[in-house]
Amino acid sequence: MPAVPARPLALVRRYLGRWGLLAALAALPIYYGIRDLTHGYQAGVVAGHPVIQHDLSRLGFNLAQGLSNGAIWALIAIGYTLVYGIIELINFAHGDVFMVGSFTAAGFWGSIGLGAATGTIGLIGGLILTLIVSMAVCGSLNVLIERVAYRPLRGAPKLAPLITAVGFSFILQNVGLLWRGGSPQGVTDLVHEQSTVFNISGVPIVRGYILALAVMVPLVFGLAWFISNTRAGRAMRATAQDPEAARLMGINVNATISLTFLLGGMLAGAAGLVYALYETNVWYFQGFEAGLIAFTAAVMGGIGNVRGAVLGGLIIGVIQALSDSRMGPQWTEAVVFGYLIVIMILRPRGLLGEEIREAG
Amino acid sequence: MSYLGKAIRAFLVVGSVVAIGACGSSSKSSSSGGGGGGGGKTVDVYSSLPLQGASTAQTDPMVNGIKLALSEAGNKAGQWTVNYQSLDDSTAAAGKWDPGQTAANARKAAADKKAVYYIGEFNSGASEVSIPILNQGGIAQVSPANTYVGLTTNLPGSAPGEPQKYYPTGNRTYLRIVPIDSIQAAADLMAMKQAGCTKVAVANDKEAYGAGLATLLGLEKGFYGVTIASNTGIDPTAPNFRSYAATVKGQGADCFFFAGIVSNGAVQITKDVHAALPTAKIFGGDGVCTSSYTGASKGGVPAAIDPLLECTVATQNLTSYPGGKTFLAAYKAKYGDANPDPYAIYGYEAMKLGLDTIASVGAQGNSPSAVLKALFATTNRSSVLGTYGFDKNGDTTLKSYGLYKVGSDGTPVFFKTLTPTKTVGSS
Repeated sequence: MPAVPARPLALVRRYLGRWGLLAALAALPIYYGIRDLTHGYQAGVVAGHPVIQHDLSRLGFNLAQGLSNGAIWALIAIGYTLVYGIIELINFAHGDVFMVGSFTAAGFWGSIGLGAATGTIGLIGGLILTLIVSMAVCGSLNVLIERVAYRPLRGAPKLAPLITAVGFSFILQNVGLLWRGGSPQGVTDLVHEQSTVFNISGVPIVRGYILALAVMVPLVFGLAWFISNTRAGRAMRATAQDPEAARLMGINVNATISLTFLLGGMLAGAAGLVYALYETNVWYFQGFEAGLIAFTAAVMGGIGNVRGAVLGGLIIGVIQALSDSRMGPQWTEAVVFGYLIVIMILRPRGLLGEEIREAG
Repeated sequence: MSYLGKAIRAFLVVGSVVAIGACGSSSKSSSSGGGGGGGGKTVDVYSSLPLQGASTAQTDPMVNGIKLALSEAGNKAGQWTVNYQSLDDSTAAAGKWDPGQTAANARKAAADKKAVYYIGEFNSGASEVSIPILNQGGIAQVSPANTYVGLTTNLPGSAPGEPQKYYPTGNRTYLRIVPIDSIQAAADLMAMKQAGCTKVAVANDKEAYGAGLATLLGLEKGFYGVTIASNTGIDPTAPNFRSYAATVKGQGADCFFFAGIVSNGAVQITKDVHAALPTAKIFGGDGVCTSSYTGASKGGVPAAIDPLLECTVATQNLTSYPGGKTFLAAYKAKYGDANPDPYAIYGYEAMKLGLDTIASVGAQGNSPSAVLKALFATTNRSSVLGTYGFDKNGDTTLKSYGLYKVGSDGTPVFFKTLTPTKTVGSS
């Protein structure tokens, strides 16, 4: 009996592999890097004449900006991926929890008197306090949402909690609307986020970049350590793999799911603070777009996979920065989702693979 | 049910009520004046303006101006008692004018048998929606703020099919008391030239007003010797515009112009461009010449940017107008504000024009067609804005713009009058 010939797409998937796909993702920055070196780019105008440079500093600027933007998406994406990993629900309200985090942070730092004139020590202390409050509020809110809107529907068809998630998203948006109105509102630039701290080969590293990464990196490592090394973290992994077996082994599944929502909400609260400091504006609708991007990042990295969510967030941040700068912002969403489609076709389980029940 | 369970469910119910309340708040209206159709000789006058979002810094004073004119006239226009209703063409969710709300307002006026006069809209994009509806209803519409050329003319900067597509009956029903954007763009170019700009980066919000004004800047740049480095339509919902700012820096721009309204990302793009080009001068049209853009305390740009900002509004120095001082005194007496937004006087004049016109047609004051005919026949009208009339398109014969800088309190302050001599319509 003759062997069935492999389909072309399956062959591509088999031979491209994970690292091949990552290399394909690097094609865009590599292309623009080579182009900057060979064709040069206009870096400014002196005495009416354009200054053409042939170096990688423009690409470095794009990467630095993309990674810092991506750090915010990564923090939000982790919340999506944790929740999907454990109860297989797309928590549509998560982006709006992030919005509440921004509003809480901006409101709280105003109420404790932080301003542009606050000294360095006071500012650092105040912002750490604001971070704790924002994480606590968003973590509690996320637990409340789980308790009210998702837990009663644990055994219901999957469409039911999906609808309650959409419902809670709208409720939170309307709360935001009443809180700060319908237009984007500027907030005080507490950290002078566009002040250059140092240069790396002509690429200015501003405070905003450092802030985003300085908040994201320890939180992600802390979360990874918590999931890997603590009893509660092992319970989360066990519940994600098989909730019934976990229950038989004595794990309190409901408490574990609540813990997952708490952690996801806390990270969204941290992202909310960073966003408010980084963008210096807040808007009741900011959670919709950020949520969409972050969920895309979670899917791109492999839903349920924390490392995948971080990788996805950073990659999308870089793609956005490159597209905004090189092709124009009007193409950015098309480029980001074009990348997502290619990745899904070639690697349906995401870059680092799913970590959910079916995958286990 | 446990106490916690009850509390959580109560939270959910309250949240839902709050949400419904927020959605419902977009359709508010208020009325003043006559008895509201209690029989008698009553006519209805409407205004439709965005009363939510960043534009309220301009539209609240405008409504105050409308009400001031009405109260000075004792709610009367000749023999007619005027019933005025202030409609909101914005929604809380949008934070600015909304097409559905605008159309609903226009339909309400068009269906009102007693309606003879409609003041609005504030945004040119909104008037694109309301003009055809009111045109079919035969109601005279006067905008106190629209500047987009395509609403009344086919001058360069308008889109194909304009302005005919707004007037399905073939008759004109729309007029405006502010000079159009071909004049504003020329005034802006004069201001930028005088400020020493050699290369200007223009960003527009892609609405009719913003995109039209940006196009006119490009069409008229040659008259005033200003180079436009780029004209970019932005996504108003983008969280930041840093990449755009870096691109503008690479283009060697020494000035930046934002063509659009405050609600469409104006503050954020200005902050990002300023961070990339700290010495660049920043300009804007009447869509941003308001304290919600210029004042840090009202959510506008940081105070450090204010010395670099200049913007244009059709209004000039209020005290220099023929009736300016009287208007300011009356406004202060009624509202306690001695320094209202420049648009307040346009609201005042829009209502005065309507009342005078209704009165002028005597017993026909309840006839929309008679009021409309009288409006288009207006020439050499002595008003608080000076002497003006309307051309056959419904455009004012006023030709000057005011250039504003930013005062120490973050509000725009009149600097000087600009009267362009060359525009695409005149040369």
